[in-house]
Amino acid sequence: MAGQKVGEAIRAVLDVIGLGLKYTLRPERLTIYYPYEVPDYMGRVRGWIGLWTERCTSCMICARICPTNAIKMYMEKNGRRYPGIDYGRCIMCHYCIDACPTYALYPTDMRDLAFYRHEDMMYTPDMMRKPPQVPKLVPQVVKVVHEYSRGRVVKVRLGEPGEHKPLPPAPSVPVVES
Amino acid sequence: MGLKMEQYGMVLSEVESGPGGKRTLELLFGPQHPTSGHIRFFVELDGDIIVDIRPDPGFVHRTMEKLGETRHFMMNIPLFERLSLPDAINVTWAYSMAVERMLGYDVSERAEYLRTLFGEMSRISVHLYDLALHAIMIGSSTGFMYGFGLRDLLVNLWAIATGARTTPTWVLPGGVRRAPPKAFYERLAGFLDFLDRKMDEFYRLVVKNPVGYYRLKDVGYLSKSDAAAYLATGPGARGSGVDWDARRDMPYGVYKQLEWEVRVHDEGDSLARTLVRIEEVREAARIIRQLLKAMPMDGPLVGHNATHKIPPKEREMLNELVRMSGYYVTTTNLAEGTGVTEGGRGRYFFQVFGAGTERLFRVRISTPSWQNLRAFMKATIGARLMDLPAIYGSFGFFPPEADR
Amino acid sequence: MILLTIVWAERKIAARVQMRVGPLHVSPRLGGYFQLIADAVRFVMQEVIITVDSYRVLFVALPPLFVALALMPSFMVPLSPYLALLSRPSLHYGIIMALAVLFYLFIIVVGMGWAVNNRFAYIGAAREALIITAYEIPLLDAFASMFLTYKTIDPIEIVAKQTYIVGALYNPLAFIVYIIGVAMATSRFPFEIADYEGDVATGPYSDFSSIFLALTYAGGIYIALFSYSLLGALVFLGGWAPIAPGPWPADLWGNLAAAAWVMIKTFILMLFFVFLRSVMPVARLDHTLSFSWRWVLAIAVAATAVSAVEYFLL
Repeated sequence: MAGQKVGEAIRAVLDVIGLGLKYTLRPERLTIYYPYEVPDYMGRVRGWIGLWTERCTSCMICARICPTNAIKMYMEKNGRRYPGIDYGRCIMCHYCIDACPTYALYPTDMRDLAFYRHEDMMYTPDMMRKPPQVPKLVPQVVKVVHEYSRGRVVKVRLGEPGEHKPLPPAPSVPVVES
Repeated sequence: MGLKMEQYGMVLSEVESGPGGKRTLELLFGPQHPTSGHIRFFVELDGDIIVDIRPDPGFVHRTMEKLGETRHFMMNIPLFERLSLPDAINVTWAYSMAVERMLGYDVSERAEYLRTLFGEMSRISVHLYDLALHAIMIGSSTGFMYGFGLRDLLVNLWAIATGARTTPTWVLPGGVRRAPPKAFYERLAGFLDFLDRKMDEFYRLVVKNPVGYYRLKDVGYLSKSDAAAYLATGPGARGSGVDWDARRDMPYGVYKQLEWEVRVHDEGDSLARTLVRIEEVREAARIIRQLLKAMPMDGPLVGHNATHKIPPKEREMLNELVRMSGYYVTTTNLAEGTGVTEGGRGRYFFQVFGAGTERLFRVRISTPSWQNLRAFMKATIGARLMDLPAIYGSFGFFPPEADR
Repeated sequence: MILLTIVWAERKIAARVQMRVGPLHVSPRLGGYFQLIADAVRFVMQEVIITVDSYRVLFVALPPLFVALALMPSFMVPLSPYLALLSRPSLHYGIIMALAVLFYLFIIVVGMGWAVNNRFAYIGAAREALIITAYEIPLLDAFASMFLTYKTIDPIEIVAKQTYIVGALYNPLAFIVYIIGVAMATSRFPFEIADYEGDVATGPYSDFSSIFLALTYAGGIYIALFSYSLLGALVFLGGWAPIAPGPWPADLWGNLAAAAWVMIKTFILMLFFVFLRSVMPVARLDHTLSFSWRWVLAIAVAATAVSAVEYFLL
């Protein structure tokens, strides 16, 4: 297209100013006020990885398929080795969960972890039995999701997120209760 | 610490070029700069005109091609995804196509549809990313926020479907890893309507706005023969009239069965490239809408050859989840395979050579930003200094992808 | 106080247009109003870095001078019929003096670019020197047309002549030229060219940190904007001319109310300039210069012609 004509340019400028004014008066905000609100991922996001040692056979497939070499095998008191994950290296791709032939590793949907010391990030097998207890940052947390109605985006509050529980490693595989 | 002023301050070098030499100012448009990305340019300025530009790539070189030789070929998928994270699906799709051709795997029909759907979402994601960066390089922080705000909604959809927001790790040789839930399809339809409206506003705010329009018009001109000679790709080439798109000319996925157009503009300046991007977002939304109607909701997620390798007790869950167990025991053949996909920035090319073990012998990657670098240099010479961000953004130059 | 509000308003307006929330965390019940105080505390606590090969004297002395010169013009014009810092004979020339001081600001910016002594600051300072040629003449012409219309240069009489019909309605062309000129002068989008972060990495202000940055980039520019807007409120928007008929009561409360009315109009003008940030990208240097010398000058000459006609009509 050729250069704009003067009338077109002036109209475009007025149009833009009008657009800005419209949104100043009736804004459409997408912001999620983390940590007061958390997004809802329906429990399907790939998070912290845990281990049920009674199912583990020490085959070391998880350590061999980890793309970042985050899994080391630790010798336990019963003379067998079990995997421990270094969460400084883990990218949470869940290849280890998907490769384990006995469904010993299990996923959770907890992604928000922070540590004070580097040594705390290296989880040994006994630490991986249950998901870590994260202290609450704020007293009230709400799950939100963005819904689209009449062409506008609204944030819908869905209630409190529950505690993070172990999830089944594959469909129709039972979770170990303890 | 005592640097002398003559060493550190302005550098005016006399460059003799025949009768009447030029005095040029050499500017280090380095990585520590708000709009240069992870690359350094040595820019020689004569007044306000750029006389010469020499890029200095390599800051983000992560030796990905070498790393691809040292690990199981499945462990390369998260690695190559990080070549260009906004466009994660198209990159891993190219790699998976290459590995499939090497192994002789086929892809199931449901996986082809799913891959195409997510590939188009990935195209929208990378176009939003590039347009947003382009807008803030021109100066409009509103355009930046629009692009990234929309991308945030899209990335939340990826989180429900594949498990992670920006690193899906979802395409496997032979198929895909997980099936998206029902809520994904409903939210996607709502997102597309919102996207159409917001892209229209983005266009009005940044491109049709005479301030932005004249910033982009006739800037960074790349003629059609130059674009073809320098092997430009993606919107860099299609904005100059070169009508090539890997989705149509080297077909893959289910693009042949859908109705869509390749957007080409002839002018060759930044405005044409930006318009190609904006129109490609609309075309991608159109493709996704057609796919939503034609998507098979049931069926295996990997093809037959991959299914043979999966242990029988896991074959029942193939409609929902594909585990790594079959792939872990697969070794590569002594063969080679190539995969070409059209990402948002251009065409990705992977060529893999198997070694007989579970590792590959060689992975060769060619990314669009690396291809476009030469064309980008050609387009910048003769422009003004303030046009450098505009041209940079219009090519969609992404240094981590260029340096691999 | 005004600085606090205007920067807060800028961030919030930009946030509303951009589908997000601006500053909120610092004082949530007030909507993040005290964010700038938190920023100022951080600026003051930051290490003061004076780069090795800058011109030290200029580096340290110019930012406070910038703020001083930016604030001075607002003292030269009256806020109400009796609230003025200058007395009668020199108050007569208040607007002219204010304009003269404001036009000196660009020298200080060029000086800062020179003092910083790196390539990007050099380019930024050169751009600032080019931009002044773009906006100086049209802005002077806009004010000159208004002086023609009112037939006087005394600010108190100018305001007395505007009742319902404010200056902007007398000569809208001059008002448009004024807005474009002030946007160029105070580096508001779409003309944030000298200190453009995308290209010259905030140009002349690039090596300043801590208190210097707070004085110049985050504060001084807005103070200059305030001075320009005050002039504009007096000349174009009617100053303290009351809405209800009849003059303001001449006691202290009346004058304070008149001053508050002027402040509100100034604030509205400033809000408009700050709003432009969220909708406009940045124009290119040579486009700005050619636009200014072709179109803005033409509109300014037309405004003067309109004023000349009104001089004889009114």
